[in-house]
Amino acid sequence: MRIPKPNPIWFFLSPALFLIIVFYVVPLFFSIYISFTPLQNWNLARYLDQISLENYERLFYMAMNDPDVTKVVKTTIVFVTITLIFNVLGGLILALSMFFMDESLSLPYRLIWILPRMTPIAVYSLIWYYFFLGDESGTLNSLLLRLGVIEKPLAWGNSPELLPESAWAIIILVNGLVGVSFGMVVFYSALRSLPREHVIAARVEGASAFQMTRYVLVPQLKWHIIYVTVWQLLSLITTYAHIFLLVQWGAIDKWWGSPWALYVFNTAFTTSDQGFAAAAAVILVVIGGILGILVLRLMGFKKLMQEPKGEL
Amino acid sequence: MASSILSRMFRRKAKPKVEQLRDVETIKRRRLNAVIGIAVGLATLPLVALYLLLALSSFADRIVTGPDIIEAEYSTTNWKLLFQGKLEPAAGRLYDLRELIMIIVNTFIVALGVTVAVVLISVMAGYAFSRMKFRGRVGLMEFIILLHAFPGVALIIAVYAIYVWSLGAVPKDVLTEYRFLYTILARASLEIPMSIWLMKGFFDRIPWEVEWSAMVDGASRIRVWRQIVLPQIKPGIAAISIFAFLAGWEDLIYVHVFLYTGGIKTLATFLEEVIGNIETTYLPIAAAAGTLYLIPTIVFFVLTQKLLLEAMSGGVKA
Amino acid sequence: MVEVRLERVSKRFGRVVAVNNVNLQFPDGKFSALLGPSGSGKSTILYLIAGIYKPTLGKILFGDRDVTELPPKDRNVGLVFQNYALYPHMTVYDNIAFPLRLKKIDENAINDKVNNVSKLLRIQDLLERYPHQLSGGQQQRVALARALVKEPEVLLLDEPLSNLDALLRLTIRAEIKRLQQKLEITAIHVTHDQAEAMSMADYIAVIDRGSVQQVGSPWEVYNKPRNLFVATFMGSPPSNVLPGRIVRENGIWIDVGGSMVKPPERMVELLRESELDDVIVAFRPEHASIVKEPEEGYISIPAEVFVTEPLGRESIVTAMVGGSSVKVLMPPEAEFKPGESVYIQIQPDKLMLFDPITELNIEVARPGKS
Repeated sequence: MRIPKPNPIWFFLSPALFLIIVFYVVPLFFSIYISFTPLQNWNLARYLDQISLENYERLFYMAMNDPDVTKVVKTTIVFVTITLIFNVLGGLILALSMFFMDESLSLPYRLIWILPRMTPIAVYSLIWYYFFLGDESGTLNSLLLRLGVIEKPLAWGNSPELLPESAWAIIILVNGLVGVSFGMVVFYSALRSLPREHVIAARVEGASAFQMTRYVLVPQLKWHIIYVTVWQLLSLITTYAHIFLLVQWGAIDKWWGSPWALYVFNTAFTTSDQGFAAAAAVILVVIGGILGILVLRLMGFKKLMQEPKGEL
Repeated sequence: MASSILSRMFRRKAKPKVEQLRDVETIKRRRLNAVIGIAVGLATLPLVALYLLLALSSFADRIVTGPDIIEAEYSTTNWKLLFQGKLEPAAGRLYDLRELIMIIVNTFIVALGVTVAVVLISVMAGYAFSRMKFRGRVGLMEFIILLHAFPGVALIIAVYAIYVWSLGAVPKDVLTEYRFLYTILARASLEIPMSIWLMKGFFDRIPWEVEWSAMVDGASRIRVWRQIVLPQIKPGIAAISIFAFLAGWEDLIYVHVFLYTGGIKTLATFLEEVIGNIETTYLPIAAAAGTLYLIPTIVFFVLTQKLLLEAMSGGVKA
Repeated sequence: MVEVRLERVSKRFGRVVAVNNVNLQFPDGKFSALLGPSGSGKSTILYLIAGIYKPTLGKILFGDRDVTELPPKDRNVGLVFQNYALYPHMTVYDNIAFPLRLKKIDENAINDKVNNVSKLLRIQDLLERYPHQLSGGQQQRVALARALVKEPEVLLLDEPLSNLDALLRLTIRAEIKRLQQKLEITAIHVTHDQAEAMSMADYIAVIDRGSVQQVGSPWEVYNKPRNLFVATFMGSPPSNVLPGRIVRENGIWIDVGGSMVKPPERMVELLRESELDDVIVAFRPEHASIVKEPEEGYISIPAEVFVTEPLGRESIVTAMVGGSSVKVLMPPEAEFKPGESVYIQIQPDKLMLFDPITELNIEVARPGKS
């Protein structure tokens, strides 16, 4: 004698499903659709029924031939590669340093290193804007002038004689300091969760800090290093928020300072060429999807999902 | 009740038991400690210095750069000017105090809106994933984790296109509310996958027996969730709230795309605009605005340090 | 090999005193056990000997060598942790070779030593495996091999059997004991399991609350407990304890739960000398029996049967004396009904009396003879 009741699963899941459908699933297909239309100025009524491959052809052509877009491509490759190395190695070095330090000493350090990640992006950008400001009131110029290294202030992010390396250095530094904390936190907590006896046993045998790192600690972090690398690769390819304002404010060159993701954003919202931008974004979506699946495999997902006990 | 959550959140870790193994004491590591401490300190110093220079500049007559800390003159003028709305020549136009307060309020609306949306949705979905059997449970959770790794910002063109399309159907008198709602939900959806996953983890830790006994006594599933389970995961809710708040507070791209284009400003877009008019900007006032924007982050940060570090590493298990 | 000595060693962690003014001597080539409940400080003592902790006060000597300040690697000790602490990313061979590699010993020499020690522990066939491919007992042997491979003078074992199942524990007990005797190494074994300590050790040091309660052979510790703690910690079930009042009329009597008991001759003088008003009467469950009528030559106390638990080989009968319960081991065929009035009959030579204030055994710990 069972009285049918509304299924409570829907009560619990529908809000989440609603958001996921509206902000992930529909936009995903819509992005792909837009990428085949010549949408401009958000004029949906006018352009949405003209389907063609033109955007992709144009994209491919420009990536090879357009001087500005080739700059973006080069910037993306350099930026992603070097920042990735900086983030993973830096995170590992920081985590190991913190691990060998007393915990009371390492806590403030760890906090300071995750501060850039938590800082409002506009404030973080402002800080670097001041630092690389092109006149003598910029922090870097002011310091170097006083030290006598330079004679007149330099526009670090966009003076032609310093490009492209200077712009690259700036975006790598700015993003690197945000990204390095991820590796640090993941590696540090992994190190802390190793059995204490591993470290003590090695110390009892007389292992130095270096030997311990080389033989005991790093080998056990293998999977974490791969995980952080893939994750960081994914976010470096797709994020642009921390560079957006620096380009907007003219602190760095518009092309040499733009990785692909920022180029996509500016094409859609500044140049207002959304069809073309969507095609450029689909590339990101594909890369994001592939790397995302890889991350999932690395997390050992299946093992983490235990079945609920019984049916209630 | 609030105080008990706070005390639980901020309680210091219990002293380690005597039997718990400590580090080797007979090896002199003071030198190693000092070397590493100083090396990390030197690497950290510039970062701290940049934040301090920003805060100092907000009180100075110039942007202080380090060596000129002594030469600069300090006063609260910048802050007064900021709050009087006298940003001229800073922003190329005059703000009045009301506008400035609205900007701060708008920032809070977005941050709190994101917090409420994220907490509500992830608490509900996290419970379902932790405690309910349904077809496609593992597959759906896997999909959600995939979304966490997936770059949501790459979809912003389509999300904005939907927004533009939907604006036409919204009555004029609730347009502002609609803009806020869409911004909040769009931004919250970036945080949702991770939050659901974390929430599921918190629910997994509660013993089943508690729930069973309540259900044996005849309580409905939803009632059990609200009265029995939720009170036990307050620390988890607190952690998620802090993360969601900081995410909403620090956001730039979403408020730029969805609110600024509709003429609604937050502290992020306000700063964007002030510095954007660089020819006329008096930078120390911008430093004051930036410092103001930074304060809530720092406060949260200091209050919840350990929770923050734990939650940041909580998404990864090996 | 070497004798290990602790001289007035104290160890504080912040305000917590983990080890309090301990003097101990671990004889050369013998197997000693540090026995105590969890939190008693026994592991801390082991780690002090290993050199992981540094004493707050006092000295640690290996033979004539003062090692108080030395780091572990200069003490030549082998240490086996409770969870074995094997490195999961190294093979068994690499795990055992690790201490030698840190010393930068020639690979051939390492190979010889690893092979020798693995033969000794019968793990030659496991050398290529990883720790997670081994059973608990095998991991235990690998951990022992790693501790022994550098030929230490002292072998330190921190509850090495507590992660094994009961049957395996018995085998490994015997194995460790055999190994220790063969190598004639000074071994110090930390355990909370009194049966383990009794069966393995030549000497037992009973530790409680950071202090040494008694040191002696297993026989001494069991039969001549120095104080109430040792009496009630050793044995299963532990010693029975009854409060008594001393009555000094017509000689010396002890009032136990309302009935007058004549103390054995050897104690009368001691009790007369002491000015005690109260005393704690104790005896082991196997040193008493339950009878319906008291017999000559025993100390008898009236009691009421509470419950009988048959265990197959024997039965444990619980009886009430006044407000206290007493457990007695009886042959399995003994049958008593709950509520039945009986007598507990104690062998006079096995009766123990403790001072209720100092908790010392009035016979063993006579003033000036402790």
